[in-house]
Amino acid sequence: MIKKIYLIGNPNVGKSVVFSRLTGVNVISSNYPGTTVEISKGYLRLRDEKVEVVDLPGTYSLESTSRAEEVAVSLLKEYPKEEIAVINILDSTNLERNLLVTLQLIEEGFPTIVCLNMCDDAGHRGVRIDIKKLEEILHIPVISTCAVTGVGIKLLIDRIGEAVPASRVKLTHEERWKEIGRIVEQVQHLEHRHHTIREILEDASVRPLTGLVMATAVIYASFKIVRFIGESIINKITDPVFFNLFQPLLEKLTLYWQEKGFWFHLLIGDLINGKIDFKQSLGVLTTAPYIEFGMVLPYVISFYFILSLLEDIGYLPRLAILLDNLLHRIGLHGYAIIPVLLGFGCNVPGILSTRVLESKRERFIASTIISIGVPCVPLQAMIFGLLGKFGGFYVGGVYLVLFSLVLILGLILNSTLSGYSPEFLLEIPPYRFPPLQMLGQKLFFRVKGFLIEAVPVVLIGVLIVNILLYFKLFDMITGIFAPVIHGLFGLPKEAIVALAIGFLRKDVAVGMLMPLGLTAKQLFIAATLLAISFPCIATFIVLWKELGLRDLIKSTLIMIIISLIVGAALNFVVLH
Amino acid sequence: MKKLSLVQIKANHKGKITEILGGLNLHQKLMNMGVYKGKEITKLSHIGLKGPVVVKVGRGILALGHGVAEKIIIESE
Repeated sequence: MIKKIYLIGNPNVGKSVVFSRLTGVNVISSNYPGTTVEISKGYLRLRDEKVEVVDLPGTYSLESTSRAEEVAVSLLKEYPKEEIAVINILDSTNLERNLLVTLQLIEEGFPTIVCLNMCDDAGHRGVRIDIKKLEEILHIPVISTCAVTGVGIKLLIDRIGEAVPASRVKLTHEERWKEIGRIVEQVQHLEHRHHTIREILEDASVRPLTGLVMATAVIYASFKIVRFIGESIINKITDPVFFNLFQPLLEKLTLYWQEKGFWFHLLIGDLINGKIDFKQSLGVLTTAPYIEFGMVLPYVISFYFILSLLEDIGYLPRLAILLDNLLHRIGLHGYAIIPVLLGFGCNVPGILSTRVLESKRERFIASTIISIGVPCVPLQAMIFGLLGKFGGFYVGGVYLVLFSLVLILGLILNSTLSGYSPEFLLEIPPYRFPPLQMLGQKLFFRVKGFLIEAVPVVLIGVLIVNILLYFKLFDMITGIFAPVIHGLFGLPKEAIVALAIGFLRKDVAVGMLMPLGLTAKQLFIAATLLAISFPCIATFIVLWKELGLRDLIKSTLIMIIISLIVGAALNFVVLH
Repeated sequence: MKKLSLVQIKANHKGKITEILGGLNLHQKLMNMGVYKGKEITKLSHIGLKGPVVVKVGRGILALGHGVAEKIIIESE
C-alpha cells in the first residue's frame, strides 16, 4: 500500500516538470541547479486513492554534502520503506552520472522505479538507451519519458505500483562507479552526430573570449528587450486604458462629488488644473493604481519574461562562470549571480535564494549587497519614468553609483569579515529550449506573486500617507529630520515623506516625489537614497528571517551609514 | 607522461585523474559528481587567470573553482 511517493534525482533533470505532470500542481522549475530548496507537495490519483507526492531537492548522491541534499535524504527516511514509492528521475543524456543515486537507492532497499527523462533530447544528441536491458540489470521498472511534452507519463503512473525493493550488495564508492561504467557500456549506444549549432554555442559560452562576447550580447539584448516589451505594454495597453477609459470614468464621478472633503482627498487626491493627474494627484483610486499597473507592472512582466527565458535555456550557470573571478574578490563566487539577478526583479526572492550559497558569510554578504545595491524592478521602472526625462546621464548615474557601492562594500566586507568563501563546483547544463506553455506558466506565477504582494501594500501605503497628509501629521517628523534631509542631502523637507514611505514600498516612494517638482539633481539624490537606504518592509522581514537578528542589525547599520555618506557626497561633492 | 594540476594543463587536453588533494568533504563532493581517481577528464577552458576551470567528465560539463582545479592532479599523454 503506497502512502507517499517521492521524486528524487540530480538537479536539472526536469524533476519539477515531472512533478507538475503527476500532480497538476504548478511549481516553478528552472534549468539551473538548486531552485527546489523548498519542498513542493501535491497529490496524485492512484486507483481511486489520493497519494501525496513530494518533490525532493536535487541531489547528486544519498550521502549528503549540502543542505539541500540533507533535506532530501532525511525526508526520504521519514516513512517506513513499505509505505512509500520512490520515483528516481534521470537525465537520459547523462546516464552515467545519474545512475549513482539509482544504485544507492536500490542498495538501501527503497522501492524504486526509474524514470528516464528527456528522452527526446537524448535522441537529438545521438544517445540511445536499451530500456529492457537496463530493467534486467537493475531488476526494477524503467520508463522512458519526456515530461515537457507528456510522453511516457501515463505509463509511469500505471507502473508506480511495481516499485519494489531489489537486492543489491552495498558497494564502496570506487566499486559503484566501476559498476556504473559496466552498466552504461551495456545499455547505452552512442551514435556519432555532427556538432549542432546548439552544441557549438554551448561550447563557445564556456570559453573566455567567446564567452565574454556572448555574455555582453546577451545582457545588452536582455536589457533592450525588457525596455522594449515594457514600453510597448505601456504605450499600447496600459496608458490607453488609464487615459481613455479610467480617467473619463473617474472625472464623471468627481462631477457628482459635491463636497471635496476628506474622502475626496483620500480617494482622488488633488486635482491638477482642475483635472485628475495620475502622476500627481496621489489618491488611492488615481495615483496608486497608476503606479502599480501603469508604470511598474509592464516592466515586471517583461523582466520576468526575459529572466525566466534565460533560466530555462540554461544560460545563467554560464554567466556564473564568467563572473566568478570578479565575485570572488567580493567574497562570493560565481553562483551568487543568481540571487543577484533575482534581486533585480524583487529583493525578496533574491535574498531567499541566497540559500543556494553555502556559508553564512556568503549569505550575509550577498543579502546585504542585494538590499543596498540591487534596485528591484518597481524601483527601476519608477526611476526610469521620473529621471528618464532629464536624460540617460542621470539614469545611468544611479546605476553607476550603485555598482561602485557594491564593489567597494563587497571588498570591505570580504576583507573584514572572518571566515573564507568556499570554492564553487557547478554543473553546466546543456541548453534546452523551454516549451512556451511552461514559460508562460512560470511567468504567470511570478507576476501573480508580485501582484499579490504589491497591490495591497501600495493601496494601504497611499491611504496611510493621505491620512497623515490630511491631518498634517507629517509636519512633526519633517521638522525633526529637516536638518539631515535639507542640510545634508539638499532635498526639500517634504521629501522626508517619500523617503519614509520607501520603507513600505519603493515604487510608491518615488511616486511621492513626483508632485514635489524636484530638480534633476535632487531627484537623482532621492532616487539613489531610496535604492540604498532601508529596504522595503517585505525585504526587511526576509532579511530578518534569513540572517537572524544580530546580522540584521549589522546589515541595517551598514545601510544607514552608507546612505548618510553617499547622500552627502552626492550633494556636496559629485553634483555640486 | 607528466603529472600536472587541472590549472596547469592546457585547454582541450585530456587525461586521467591520478590524485585529488584536499579534504574529505571535497573528495566526497567530487566523487558524487563523478570526479574521482582514475576517471578520464577533459579540460575545456580556463576563464581568466584566477578564474574557474571548465571540464568535461563523461557526458556532463562541470565548472570547478580555481582552488578546486588546483587540487586535481592529471596524468596526460
